[in-house]
Amino acid sequence: MRSGSESLLIGEGLSYAYLERFPALEKVSLEVSRGERLALLGANGCGKSTLLKILAGLIFPDHGSYRAFGEEVSAERLEDEQFSAAFRTRVGFVFQNTDAQVFSPTVREEIAFGPLQLGLAPAEIEGRVAEVTQMLEIGDLIERAPYQLSAGQKKRVAIASVLVMSPELLLFDEPTAGLDPRSRGWLLELIDELGRAGKTIVFATHELAELEWIADRCLVLSEDHRPLAEGAPAELLADRELLLRANLIHEHAHRHGAVLHSHPHERGHHGRAG
Amino acid sequence: MTDGASTPGWLLAGAEDAPPLLCSGKRRRGGAIEKTVGGLARLIREALVSEEIAARRGLLQRLDARVKLIGMLGLLIATGLVRHIPVLLGLYALTLVLAAASRIGLGWFAKRVWFFIPLFSGVIVAPAMFSFITPGEVVLPLGHWFGHEVGLTRQGLTSAALIVCRVASSISLVLLLTLTTSWSRLLASLRTLFVPRLLVLVLGMAYRYLFVLLDSVTEMVTARRARTVAAKRSRRGERAIASFSGGALFGKAHALSEEVHQAMLARGFSGELRMSEWPRIRAIDVISVLTCLALAILVVGGDRALGL
Repeated sequence: MRSGSESLLIGEGLSYAYLERFPALEKVSLEVSRGERLALLGANGCGKSTLLKILAGLIFPDHGSYRAFGEEVSAERLEDEQFSAAFRTRVGFVFQNTDAQVFSPTVREEIAFGPLQLGLAPAEIEGRVAEVTQMLEIGDLIERAPYQLSAGQKKRVAIASVLVMSPELLLFDEPTAGLDPRSRGWLLELIDELGRAGKTIVFATHELAELEWIADRCLVLSEDHRPLAEGAPAELLADRELLLRANLIHEHAHRHGAVLHSHPHERGHHGRAG
Repeated sequence: MTDGASTPGWLLAGAEDAPPLLCSGKRRRGGAIEKTVGGLARLIREALVSEEIAARRGLLQRLDARVKLIGMLGLLIATGLVRHIPVLLGLYALTLVLAAASRIGLGWFAKRVWFFIPLFSGVIVAPAMFSFITPGEVVLPLGHWFGHEVGLTRQGLTSAALIVCRVASSISLVLLLTLTTSWSRLLASLRTLFVPRLLVLVLGMAYRYLFVLLDSVTEMVTARRARTVAAKRSRRGERAIASFSGGALFGKAHALSEEVHQAMLARGFSGELRMSEWPRIRAIDVISVLTCLALAILVVGGDRALGL
C-alpha cells in the first residue's frame, strides 16, 4: 500500500451471475485503500471484468455488499441525481473494448462528453480538453472520427475521456490488451505516474510481466470465480503452484538435445516464475 | 500438448492428399457476398474522401454548419419552385462556382451529381418524353400506333429537361453541403431545425458504429472466403451462412450496445443529455445566410417574372 490505510472501496461476499444462470463471481471480498494500486489477476472468464463493473457501479451484485468512499453503492442510490453525479465524478472506468467506450463522432466530443454530463462550465471543459489532449499527445487527433484512429490512438482517447473528469479511482480492464509494445510501454508508464500522483488504481490483467512495476498488491481469482490468493506481486509471482492453479502460467515442455523436460512458462518472461 | 491430449494422425500428415496446386482454366465468378464486401470498402473510402474535403480550406468549409444548412435549404426550396430551364441552369452554374471556390474538383463533383440523375429521375423522365404520356408536337417520330404518330414531343422533352435540371441542381446543393461539412457538425446543426438532442446523439452514434459493424461484416465474409474450398456452391448452404452471419452480427451489435450504454453511464450520463454549446455566429456567417436567402427569393421572383 502506498499511502494511509483509509479504505476507499470495501466489497464483501460479492456474487454475480449473468442472466441469473451463468456465475461470473462467487463470494469475492476485497478492500482497496486510498492511493493503492491493486491488480486483479486471473485467467480469461474468471470474473475480473465483472468485478470491475461492480466497482464502477455499472452492474450490481446478486449477493454481498459494496461500499465506496464510505457510502453504500446500490442501483437505488445511483438513481439519485446528486449521488450518481458525485460517484461518477470520483470513478473513472477504462473499458477493454475501446470501440464501446469511444462512441462520439469526433475525439473532441468524446473527451468533452463526461464533463458536459457533469455540468462543468464550457470554458473549464475547453481548458481541460486542451490540457488532457496535450498530456496524452493526441492534440492532432482532436477533430478526427474514431474510425480513423489506430487501436493505440483509440486507447489514448478512451483514457483521455476518463482522465478529463479527474477521478479519484481509476479502473482499467485489461489495459494493455492488443496494444503494440510502444503503446503498451507508454500506458504502463502512465498508470505508474497516475499512481504516484495519488490516484487509486484497480486494474484487471493476466499479464504477469509488468506486475511488480505497476501494482502494490494483487488479488488472484480462480477459474471458478472465487478468490484464490492475495498479496504483494513478488510474493505471488514466486508461488509457482498458485500461478499454475490460477491458470496464469502453464507447464511448458521442450527438448534440450535428447532430454525432454518441462517448466512453468508465462507470457513475456520465459521461465521467470519458476 | 498438455494433459495427455494427443494430436490426431491426419493433422500430422503432409499435404499429399491435397489437390495439385495448378490452374485448371475454370474460373469462379465473384458472388454477391464478395461484391458486398467491395461495396462496404467503397463506402468507407467515400466517407474518408468526404471528411478530407470537409477539412480543406475553401469558401464553404469556412462557414458555420448551421448557416450552410439553412442557406442550402432556402436554395433547395427555390430550386423546387423554379419553372424555367435557364434559371435552373443558372442555379446549377452557381453550384459549380461554389464547388470550385470550396476546392472541390469540378470533374469529380459533376461526375458524382450526374451519376445520381438516371437513378433519381430516369424512371419518371423516360416515359414523360413520349407522345402517349405528354401529347404535343412530335419532334422525333418513332412510328405509328392505331393511326396516331408516336414519338418524342417537344413538350415532353421540355418537361424532362426541366426535371433533370432541377434534380441536378438539387443534388449539387445537397452534395455541396455534405462534402464541405464534417458529418458530426452536420448532425449537430440539425438541432437548429428543432431536431431533439437525443435523436441527434443517436444518429451520430449510429453513424459511428456503422463503421464498427462494417468491419465485423468484412471480417466475417473474409473469414468465410478463406475457408471456402468447394468448387460448387450450394444455395441452401449460402442462405444458411447468410442467416448465421446475420444472427451473429445481431448478437454482436446487441452486446456492443449494452457496453456502450455502460460506458455512457460511467461518464455521468443519466438519461438527460447535455451537449456542448455552439460556437458564436460571426458576421461572415450572417452575411452568408442572408445572401443565400436573398438569392433564393430573387431566383423564385425572377422565375415568376419570366411567366409560365
